[in-house]
Amino acid sequence: MAAWDLTVTVEELGPEAPPLKVSVTSDLHIGGVILKIVEKTQMKKDWSDHALWWEQKKQWVLRAGWTLDKCGIHADARLNFMPQHKPLRLGLPNGATVRLKASFSAPVFRCVMGICRILNIRHPEELSLLRPMEEKKKKKDKSQEEVYELTDALPNAASMLTLSNGMPAHFAQSAEHEAVYKMLSISQPAPAPETIAKTYRPSNVVEKAEVNGRWLDSSRSLLQQEINENDKLLIRFKYYSFYEIEPKHDAVRLTQLYEQARWAILLEEIDCTEEEMMLFAALQYHIGKVSLTEPQIASCPAMDDLDSALQCLELKLDEEGSSGADMLETMTPAPELHDYLKIFRPKRLTLKGYKQFWFTFKDTSISYYKSKEESFREPIQQMNLKGCEVTPDVSIAGQKFCIKLLIPEPDGMNEVYLRCENEQQYSKWMAACRLASKGKTLADTSYSSEVESIESFLAMQRTNPGTASAQTDESINTHSLVSPRYQKKYKPKQLTPRILESYQNVAQLSLTEAIQKFLQIWQALPDFGVSYFVVRFKGGRKDEVLGIANNRLIRIDLSVGDVVKTWRYNTMRQWNVNWDIRQVAIEFNGNVNIAFSCVTADCKIVHEYIGGYIFMSTRSKAPTDTLNEELFHKLTGGHEAL
Amino acid sequence: MNYSIGFTDLNASLHELEDNDLDALMADLVADLNATEEKLAAESKDHPSSSSSSSSGSSLPTPTVNNFGFPSPTVAPAFTTTSISMPAPAPAPAPPPAPAPAPAPALAPALAPAPGGPKGSISPPPPSQTSKLSKEEMEAQTKADKIKLALEKLKEAKVKKLVVKVEMSNGSSKTLMVDERQTVRDVLDNLFEKTHCDCNVDWCLCETNPDLQIERGFEDHENMVEPLSAWTRDSENRVLFQERKDKYAVFKNPQNFYLWKKDKNTLKDMKDKEKEMLLEENFCGTSIIVPDLEGLLHLKEDGKRSWKPRYFLLRASGMYYVPKGKTKTSRDLVCMVQFDNVNVYYAKDYKNKYKAPTDYCFILKHPQIQKESQYIKYLCCDDKWTMTLWVTGIRIAKYGMALYDNYKTAVQKTTASTSWTDRINSNASTPSPTLKAKAANGHAPKPAQDTASKGLSNQPAFPPPPPATEILPPPPPDPVLPPPPPPAMFSKGPLPPPPPAMFSKGPLPPPPPAMFPKGPLPPPPPPSSMGGCFPPPPMDDLPPPPPPDNDDSETPPDFLPPPPPAMGFPSSLPRGGALPPPPPDPVPPPPACPSGGPLPPPPPPPPPPPAPAPAAAAATRPTVRKSGPPPPKRTTPVAAAPSGGDFMNELMLAMQKKRTQP
Repeated sequence: MAAWDLTVTVEELGPEAPPLKVSVTSDLHIGGVILKIVEKTQMKKDWSDHALWWEQKKQWVLRAGWTLDKCGIHADARLNFMPQHKPLRLGLPNGATVRLKASFSAPVFRCVMGICRILNIRHPEELSLLRPMEEKKKKKDKSQEEVYELTDALPNAASMLTLSNGMPAHFAQSAEHEAVYKMLSISQPAPAPETIAKTYRPSNVVEKAEVNGRWLDSSRSLLQQEINENDKLLIRFKYYSFYEIEPKHDAVRLTQLYEQARWAILLEEIDCTEEEMMLFAALQYHIGKVSLTEPQIASCPAMDDLDSALQCLELKLDEEGSSGADMLETMTPAPELHDYLKIFRPKRLTLKGYKQFWFTFKDTSISYYKSKEESFREPIQQMNLKGCEVTPDVSIAGQKFCIKLLIPEPDGMNEVYLRCENEQQYSKWMAACRLASKGKTLADTSYSSEVESIESFLAMQRTNPGTASAQTDESINTHSLVSPRYQKKYKPKQLTPRILESYQNVAQLSLTEAIQKFLQIWQALPDFGVSYFVVRFKGGRKDEVLGIANNRLIRIDLSVGDVVKTWRYNTMRQWNVNWDIRQVAIEFNGNVNIAFSCVTADCKIVHEYIGGYIFMSTRSKAPTDTLNEELFHKLTGGHEAL
Repeated sequence: MNYSIGFTDLNASLHELEDNDLDALMADLVADLNATEEKLAAESKDHPSSSSSSSSGSSLPTPTVNNFGFPSPTVAPAFTTTSISMPAPAPAPAPPPAPAPAPAPALAPALAPAPGGPKGSISPPPPSQTSKLSKEEMEAQTKADKIKLALEKLKEAKVKKLVVKVEMSNGSSKTLMVDERQTVRDVLDNLFEKTHCDCNVDWCLCETNPDLQIERGFEDHENMVEPLSAWTRDSENRVLFQERKDKYAVFKNPQNFYLWKKDKNTLKDMKDKEKEMLLEENFCGTSIIVPDLEGLLHLKEDGKRSWKPRYFLLRASGMYYVPKGKTKTSRDLVCMVQFDNVNVYYAKDYKNKYKAPTDYCFILKHPQIQKESQYIKYLCCDDKWTMTLWVTGIRIAKYGMALYDNYKTAVQKTTASTSWTDRINSNASTPSPTLKAKAANGHAPKPAQDTASKGLSNQPAFPPPPPATEILPPPPPDPVLPPPPPPAMFSKGPLPPPPPAMFSKGPLPPPPPAMFPKGPLPPPPPPSSMGGCFPPPPMDDLPPPPPPDNDDSETPPDFLPPPPPAMGFPSSLPRGGALPPPPPDPVPPPPACPSGGPLPPPPPPPPPPPAPAPAAAAATRPTVRKSGPPPPKRTTPVAAAPSGGDFMNELMLAMQKKRTQP
């Protein structure tokens, strides 16, 4: 068979070097070609990761056993000989950028699996890659963004599970890697309010739909989709169906998921009510605060609980050791609070204003007397706070420390304001009221931490609202915790008491609990998990919106935003894509047929979304940990499927 | 059938009780007391509280106590079963070593007013923990257990209890003692035993408030005492025991709630599998999904008289409405109420009362509010189904996962109880408990029914009297089912107090118990001593009646105890004690369970000694339990702590009063 010259550019020789000419015959298999190329370069190195890229056809030539003939490669082909794994800048959900080596030759689905292995995120099928928004040129002036290097991290199958120093083994190799792991697994401090305000956020459903046009195709490789070495891509949770989150193994996954959720809230990608926003803000504040103190690495909540329980026990044992009998005594005298406070009861139309009395707080009740000297007598009034509502009414600037109590009584709520002199006094009484409202007494172990958390939250107000500082130990601008809409609506001063109110309900949560709570509330939002696409229904005259969620498709009126119709997957018989006219057709039970073409995204993306969710729903049945890649591609691949 | 439980106030309710109710209650109490004390004895034995554990010895043989598996010295006179005199929980001060007959029960001093009687006796030095075997771990373990126990005891001391009168729709009534730790589920279980209803999942305890014309089904996980404590003294509120289809409708037909917008007809023939799927989607994820309810409701709020139509939306975080001129996007919604502090109630006949547009109203209010108030949100729906939707939706938003857990538990109970009824049915000696509850209530004359149910209920509560057991055939090996109640019990009905024999069985030393058997009949003993008699019931029998289940299972006869006088017991014992069902422990029960003492040796199919009784030898408890039928059911609720003392007095007084003025 006649020999001919194959033109191959070898990346390692540099961009200037002329392409190599390798003499081949058509029945030479690819493996042989590669061997010849390597010989010709006369370079000694590990070539195992290299493969041939066929420039004109935009495809990889990966089957080493196939002959050139079978691959259809002739003398006019220009091939590139290059490594399959190249550095990629990856934007994480938390906003940080990490550089790591990703496969440019494998389908994106598998590429993401590799990335997730490096990042230590389980269930990579839930994530995918997204092209970033076109960045404006002027941003180049800014100093290079910080990039975390992870290109030399080489995880192997075992290292994800073997913990060394509380982190996957491949992160424990160097201090830099440890820093990266810390970044990955600990939530980022609250961003400055300006950052939130400046960051792009979709203002309507069409803009939300546009985001979804940027997903990469899971069944093709990065290079095929014109992603080059060192390009930036975003990695995000794509399918809102999170399988088996275990805080113990999912430190990075949980943190990144939280970050994605938090940004979705802050950037108003998902709508929530004011009450919900305040709770999200309180949780963010709490998570930020606890992340600073709680060493998260290697901590598993169960262990912590056990530890503290043991410590607590030891303590008690020590006490008890000397004389067991006095244990009773040490427990019986319930702690009490006594002080002069001012009280105001709006209900009674007496003189408006606060009157001072001597107050005692015992068990779950507040009693007050004319003066300290009278305190052995019958109190003027006793109020049991169990089940009451406690609301702070605080302004540090105005030196106002009030506790508003709504005490339930058979004929309604009894409204009472207590005014304290200063922060310390306020924190103590407030904490006591909080506990009492839940039926706990001052003896409860959580009392001191409750006092502490109130104090630290008050500290927030002390910071000058003018300075927009990111979160530090104590101070935080409450504008960093809410979306721009609420930044505009309220001043930081006004936000503080509102957030404080919600904060009371979450202040006792551990870091993991708080993150999980955040995710729960996020997932309970009515619009959660819906990805939007602008589509044109067959026979329809105008664009409409199709929402794809983990269990249903939603047809939404574009102008009004109302849900027109919902179809659930379990009533779906089949769906097809007509690749020629780029139309998705779906048949449901009861002979319901719909068809639409996609406006803001390629129909492959829509197809992949639907197939992807169906794939996600099959997971629970498979007990094994291995991912059924083939099934995924079957469901999402379309006509190019493997 | 509707059982209604009237409850007002301890005093009041006691005075209102019928004679026979009182008798029955008394009988229960006494039996429970007995059991409790025995148990306590066991506890304190388990728990040679570093210090005081000791005992007022007694004339009874002293089982040697093996401390936590240490080959420790047998603490001689210590710890006999006479716990009555020494019900003091661990923390009690050391009693004198004297084997004082302890005529008057000593109370845990800190817990209640000490009765006149001598306080326990000072105890011998704490059993040496230093034994050679002592590994540190074990020591830590035992200590931990002790502490736990002690803490539990302390908690116990403060337990609040309520007496609740139970009436059926036909006028008959039951009286329950509910302690503050009991959940509604516990009380329901108790009622299932006392009545022979079909125990299906729809049975519900429900609170009514005639002032507000509202009612609300308690959720199974809720604490029972708490809502009742919110009632005012003169309240005419009642608690009904009834079947409510709406209780778990959402789990039976989730599509009606989650797909409410869809066509009703398609929903009707939804397959079970699809229903399951819906449940999984909405209740099994990381977060509970609330039905996306929205629609026009009429609201009357802030004390105004008019009803205003508003467009409402339900979200997990609360109930919102769309303000005038705004859209229903999240950001514009106004929160009317969040559910942390309010409960949702069905309202009745509001067309009349408040001129509501329809009679399908519900309200949201703080549980403590009992009268009309501006803090109540009144809502009115167009039709009944809408009302059910909203009330159920709000319950899901408020209780979340707990609701689904309740349902699953309820389903389990139903299946369990079904087999129970079947079982009973097969036993000739039992009075047809299989009759459908409805029928029974509808037609059976009250007394008869009462009797029957009493009998049933008593069965668990009282250890079967020995004679009865002898007559009875050996309990069938079926582990799940309790042995049939002795017929004797039934015939006795609620009236007579339990046979004294029972008491003698207990480890009680003669003097104090003597009082008890007589209890209901003669004038009550001096209050003080009475008060003393109620040691705080040990924590472990709390989730009240451990239902007759496989715990007391296999081969009861096998376990029947060759009474080894002492035995090492599992170090885990105290801990085990804290857990509801003792782990099946193959260890042969040791020192003839206390019952063995004064009683003739148990026949092969042992008449179960009251579970707590085994207490005598702490170690034996779990095993003994296994050897017999279910432990006495009502121990905990009744056994009153220090406060119980007062309660007893009141009870006695009330009874006396009744008797004297027939």
